[in-house]
Amino acid sequence: MTATSLATAAEKTRRNRNRPAWEEPPTAAGQTGKGAVLVFIVLVVLIPLYMVVLTSFSTQGSINQAGGMVLVPHGITVEAYRQIFTNNLVISSLIASFGITVAGTAISVLVTVLCAYGLSRNRSWGHRVILMLLVVTMFFNGGLIPTFMVVAGLGGYDNYWSMILPGAVSVFNILVMRGFFANTSRDLIDAAYMDGAGEWRILTRIVLPTSRAVVAVISLFYAVGYWNTFFNALLYLPDNQKWPLQLVIYTYTLQGNPMPGTGVTQTGTYFGTQQIAPLSIQMAVVTLTLIPILVIYPFVQRHFAKGMLLGAVKG
Amino acid sequence: MNPLDGVRADRRRFLELAGLGALTIAGSGLLAACGDAKTSSGPGTTDKNQLAKILPAYVPSTAALTPDIPSAPGANGFFSTPVYLKYPASPVATVTGVPGKGGSYTTMTPLWGSIPSSKGNTYYDTVNAALGADLKMQPADGVNYDKILPPLFAGSKLPDWLMIPSWNMGNLGFADAVNKFADLGPYLSGDAIKAYPNLAAIPTGAWQSCIWNGKLFGLPTYYSAASAGGAIFYRADIFRQLGIDANSIKTPADLEGIAKQLTDPKAGRWAFGDIFDYTAHIFHFPGDPYRWTVDASGKVVNRYEMPEYLEALNWFAKQAKAGYVHPDALAGKKEEGKQRFWSGKEVITGDGTGGWAGSDAESGKAANPSYEKQAFKLLAADGKPAMPMNPASSMYSFLNGKLSADQIKEVLSIANYLAAPYGSTEWLTVNFGKEGVDYTMTGGNPKLTEKGSKEVATTYQFLVTPVTPVPVTPGYEQVAKDYAAWEADMVKHAVKPAFYGMNITEPAQYANLNQPMVDVSIDVRYGRKPISAFTDALQTWKSSGGEELRKFYEDVKNKYGTGQ
Amino acid sequence: MTAIHEAPPAAATPPAPPTRAERRVLRKADRRRRFLRDRSLVLMTLPAIALVLVFNYAPMFGTVTAFQSYSIYAGFWHSPWTGLTTFQRLFNDPYFWHALENTLTLSLVQLVLFFPVPILLALLLNTVLSTKIRTFVQSVVYLPHFFSWVLAITIFQQMLGGAGALNQFLRAHDMSTWNIMTNPDTFKLLVTAQVVWKEAGWGIIVFLAALAAIDTQLYEAAAADGAGRWRRMWHITLPGIRSIVVLMLVLQLGNVLTIGFEQMLIQRFAVGRDASEVLDTYAYFYGVVNANFSLGAAASLFKGVLSLILILTANKVAHLFGEDGLYRR
Repeated sequence: MTATSLATAAEKTRRNRNRPAWEEPPTAAGQTGKGAVLVFIVLVVLIPLYMVVLTSFSTQGSINQAGGMVLVPHGITVEAYRQIFTNNLVISSLIASFGITVAGTAISVLVTVLCAYGLSRNRSWGHRVILMLLVVTMFFNGGLIPTFMVVAGLGGYDNYWSMILPGAVSVFNILVMRGFFANTSRDLIDAAYMDGAGEWRILTRIVLPTSRAVVAVISLFYAVGYWNTFFNALLYLPDNQKWPLQLVIYTYTLQGNPMPGTGVTQTGTYFGTQQIAPLSIQMAVVTLTLIPILVIYPFVQRHFAKGMLLGAVKG
Repeated sequence: MNPLDGVRADRRRFLELAGLGALTIAGSGLLAACGDAKTSSGPGTTDKNQLAKILPAYVPSTAALTPDIPSAPGANGFFSTPVYLKYPASPVATVTGVPGKGGSYTTMTPLWGSIPSSKGNTYYDTVNAALGADLKMQPADGVNYDKILPPLFAGSKLPDWLMIPSWNMGNLGFADAVNKFADLGPYLSGDAIKAYPNLAAIPTGAWQSCIWNGKLFGLPTYYSAASAGGAIFYRADIFRQLGIDANSIKTPADLEGIAKQLTDPKAGRWAFGDIFDYTAHIFHFPGDPYRWTVDASGKVVNRYEMPEYLEALNWFAKQAKAGYVHPDALAGKKEEGKQRFWSGKEVITGDGTGGWAGSDAESGKAANPSYEKQAFKLLAADGKPAMPMNPASSMYSFLNGKLSADQIKEVLSIANYLAAPYGSTEWLTVNFGKEGVDYTMTGGNPKLTEKGSKEVATTYQFLVTPVTPVPVTPGYEQVAKDYAAWEADMVKHAVKPAFYGMNITEPAQYANLNQPMVDVSIDVRYGRKPISAFTDALQTWKSSGGEELRKFYEDVKNKYGTGQ
Repeated sequence: MTAIHEAPPAAATPPAPPTRAERRVLRKADRRRRFLRDRSLVLMTLPAIALVLVFNYAPMFGTVTAFQSYSIYAGFWHSPWTGLTTFQRLFNDPYFWHALENTLTLSLVQLVLFFPVPILLALLLNTVLSTKIRTFVQSVVYLPHFFSWVLAITIFQQMLGGAGALNQFLRAHDMSTWNIMTNPDTFKLLVTAQVVWKEAGWGIIVFLAALAAIDTQLYEAAAADGAGRWRRMWHITLPGIRSIVVLMLVLQLGNVLTIGFEQMLIQRFAVGRDASEVLDTYAYFYGVVNANFSLGAAASLFKGVLSLILILTANKVAHLFGEDGLYRR
C-alpha cells in the first residue's frame, strides 16, 4: 500500500460510518501523524516481505545479480513452487497438518477454556494450589530425553497423538484466558446466580459469549502452534508418510546443501541437474508458511469488533 | 522453522560449535579415576596389531573399468579419485540371484534434501525387489540428526539399520553407543568378507575408520582414497579480468598481495570469504577433526599451542582489519557464502571439495556465463605444501544389536548388493532405480527423469557405498576434469596427520575445554580482540584441563600409536 | 452479593478471637463448604491437570540427572550419583555468571524498550475506525513473527550489514559507513530492535482482545459528560486493559531468563561470545552439544528456580499495588 492510497483511505475514514455519533471528528494533524506511523510500520514489514516473495519467484540468475534476496527482478519463474507441489507427499501431509491442527486446537481450546474458567473465581476451592501446579510447569521440564521416554512409553512413537497431547496445554494461554474471564462483568454473573444458573451454564451462556475475542486469540495461538509443529514430528514420526506439511516443505530448504564433510553433494552428484536456486526454494517455503497465517487473521479480527460482545449477552 | 537453520550442514562450523571432533575414546583404565567420567568402557581406539586381526581382507573388484582419467598415485599411499566420463554401455552384473531372504528391516539415514514419498515410489520398489527384502526407508532431517539420535538411544527406539555421520557422534559418547550395535567382526574380519565380494572391494582405510573398542561395527559410506578437508577456491574468470595469474600465488603473503586489487567495496566486491578454517594446511596446524598433533620433539601438542596457529590468526585478523574480508562473512553469515561466491561478491573462498561440482558451475553460470571456479594449488606459509588427510570415511551405518545372526547375514548380503561398484547393473539400480521410469541414459550417462528426481534420494547409499568416482554432471565434464587435475596434484603432498583415523573418544570432563578457545579464536581472527586475549585464554585452557588432556593423548600415543 | 463468590468466612466467625483448635475446625468446615460449592469448577480443571501430570510432571524425573553424571546408556537408574558437583562446577564457572548477567541486562533492556511497544501499537490501531485498514495493518505486522530468526537476521544483514543496502548507499555517496550488525557495544539495542520488528505485531493481539472487551457504553457516557479523546483513553481505555497489561508483565518477568536462544546463537560469530552469551546458549554450548546432559539439567533447574521466584515476586508486587497478577488475592 502506498502513502497516497493510505491517505485516501484516511480521507474515507473521516466520513466513516463506523465512527459512533458521540465521537468527535478526527483532527487533521492527528490523522496525518497516525497515517505516517501506520505507513511506516507497514512498510518496514512489507519491504522485506516483498523481497521474500519476489526471491521465491526468481531465477538463479536474478538471485546471483542481487547477491542474495532480490529487490529488483531480473528473471521470474514459478519453478520453485512447481518443485514443491509436485512432491507426492504434499497432499497427504497437508491432510495430516489439517487434521493435527483442527483436532489439536479443538482439544487445547476445550481444555484451556475449562481450566481457565475453573480457576477464574475468587477464593474458589484449591484454585491457588492448582494454579501453582500449572505455573511450575512453565519453568521446569524434564528435558528432551525424559519427555521422549514418557511419550514413547505410552505408545506415542510413530503415532499421531504425540503431535497433540504432549503440548496440548499451554499454561501461558490458560493464564491469559483466566485473566480475561476474571474481568467478565460481575453483575452479569451474579444475576445468573440469582436465576439459579450453575457453573456450566454461566460458562456457556455468559462468559464465553462475552469473551469471544480472547477465545479467538487463544485459538489462533494454538492453531498456529499446531500448524507449525516441526520438531515433534521429526522426533516422534519416523515414517515420512505421516509427516505434516511443515516438515515436508522444510526439507526443500535443504535442497542442494552439500552433505557436510564428504566429497558428495546431494543434488549435484548423481542427480543430474537442478535448475533451481536453493534460495528461491527457501523463500518459497517461507511464503507457503505465511499464506495460511495471512488467511486466518481476518477471521480472528472479526471477533474484535467493538460493542458486539456485551450485546451478545444482553440482547 | 528449524531452530538451527543458522548453523546448518556446515560440518566445519558444526565441529567448531560442537567443540568436538569426531573423536571417541572410551579409554579402558585411561583416566578412569576422574570424578565425573562417563560410565564408559574403553578408549574407543585400537592399536595396530589388533587392527590387523580385525580388518577385513581387501579383494579389488573384478568388474573394474578403465577410467577416462585414472587415479594418480600420491605420497604416503594416498591416491586420487578416478574419473569416468561415460557410464559403460553394457554394465556387468556383480551379484547373482537375489541377496535377501524376504526379511523386513527398518532403516534410518540422514537426508539433506527434499523427502520422497514412499508410497508408489518406483525407486524404492525397484531396489527392494532387486534386494529381495523389504527395507523400510525412513530418511530423517540431516540437520537435526544430532538432536534426534540421543532420545532414540535412550528410549530404545533404534531402527534395524542406522547411519550415523562422524560429526553427530560427539554428543553420543560413541565408544558406549557402539555397544547397542552388532559386532560385524565374526562376519567380515579377515577372509570372512570374501563371502561378500563387493564389500571385500572396499579399501582397508575405509574399514579402519569403522572400528571402535577393537571391534568392527560400521559399514563405510562415501569414503575416499584421499579425503582432503577442503580447498581455497577462487573465481578464475575475475582473476583473468584483473590479470592475476593464480599459479603465481604460493604463500599467504601472495594472497595478501592481491587482496587490495580484488577488493572494491563500492562495487560490492571483497577479496575473501571466511577462509580461516581452510588455512590449516597452509599454516600447518591440525584442522578438524584433528586437534592434537606431535611436534618435532615428539611432544603431543594442541593446535592452539602452536605458533603456526597464532601465525594464521594474525594473518587473517590482518586481512579482516584491512577490510579485505566480506562484511557478511565477518557477521558469521557463512550459509550464504556460496551465493556470494556465485555473485562475485567474494573472489576467494574456502569450501569442501564436494562443492566443486557441476551443480555449482550451473548455479554460478546462471547470471554470468563466464563463471569459473578453480582451487589454488596447495599454498604453504613455509613454501612446503602439505595436505593432512581426513579419515577415509566419515559416515558409517550400523546394525542393531538385537538382530539375530541369520538376520545379520541377510543384511550383509543386501549390503553386498548395495556396494556394487560403479559400472555394474546393480549400481545403476541402487542409484537411479528403474530405467525408463526413474532415469534414462542421456549422452552416455544416467539422468533422472522428472519422476525420478521426485523419488530418488540418497537413502540406500547411506547404508553402504562402493568406491565413489568423481561425480560427472552431463554438460559440465570440465568441472570433473578440473577437480581431478587439482586432486592429482594435491595427493602428491598428502600426509597422514597424527592420530589419523583412530576414532578416539575424549573423556567427557574435557568436553567443555574447547569452547572458550573457539570463541576467543573467532574474536581475534575477526579483529575484535588483540592476540593477547588468545594467549591469556590459552593459559586458562592449560590450567583448567588442557595439560591433563595432553596427558591423555600422550597415553594414547604410547599405548596405541598415532595412526601412522 | 450472594454468598457464592464473596463468601467472607471471617464474617461467620464470632467476634471473640477463637482458639487455635477452633480456628482449625472452622477452616476445615469452610474448606469443605467451599469444596462442595466449587466442585464443578475443580472438575473443569481436571483435564488440564491430567495432561500436565502425564506430559510435564512425569518427565520431571529427568531432573535427577542434574545430580548424576548421566549417560544415556546407563540410564536414570544406573548413572552414578554426583550430588551437587555439577552445580558446584556451574557456579564456579565465570562464563556461567557472565551469561546470567548478559541475560538479565538484555531482559531489562527489552522490558523497557520492547514491552510497551505492542501496547502502544494496539492503542493506536484501536483508534483506527476502518475495519479494513485495521485488519490489513494487523495482518501485515504480525507476519514477521512467523519468520525464522535466520531469515529475520538475514534481512537485517541485507539492509543494515556492512555490505547491506544502507551501507552500499553510503559508500556510493562517499559517506562513512555505519557498522551496526557486528558491533558488540550496541548489540543489545540491535537485538531489541530485531525483537520489536519480529514480535511487536504478534504481541498486539492480546491487547486488541482486551480492548475489544471494554464496554462501549462507557465511552459513550464519558463523551456525553464532555470527556475528550485523551481523557477517555486515560479514564476508560487504560483502566480497561490494565489487568491484562499487568498479567502480561508478570508473565514476562517469569520469562526474563529465557532470552532469544536462536537469535543469539545465530549472531554469536558476528559479535562474539562476550556480547551474545545468554543462559540458554551457555547451556547449549556447555551441555547439549557435548552430551553433558547433567550440566544442561543443572542449568535448567537453576533457571527454573530463579524464574519461579521472579514470577511469584512479580505477582506479589502486583498484589501490593492492588492488581490481580496471576490470580486475585
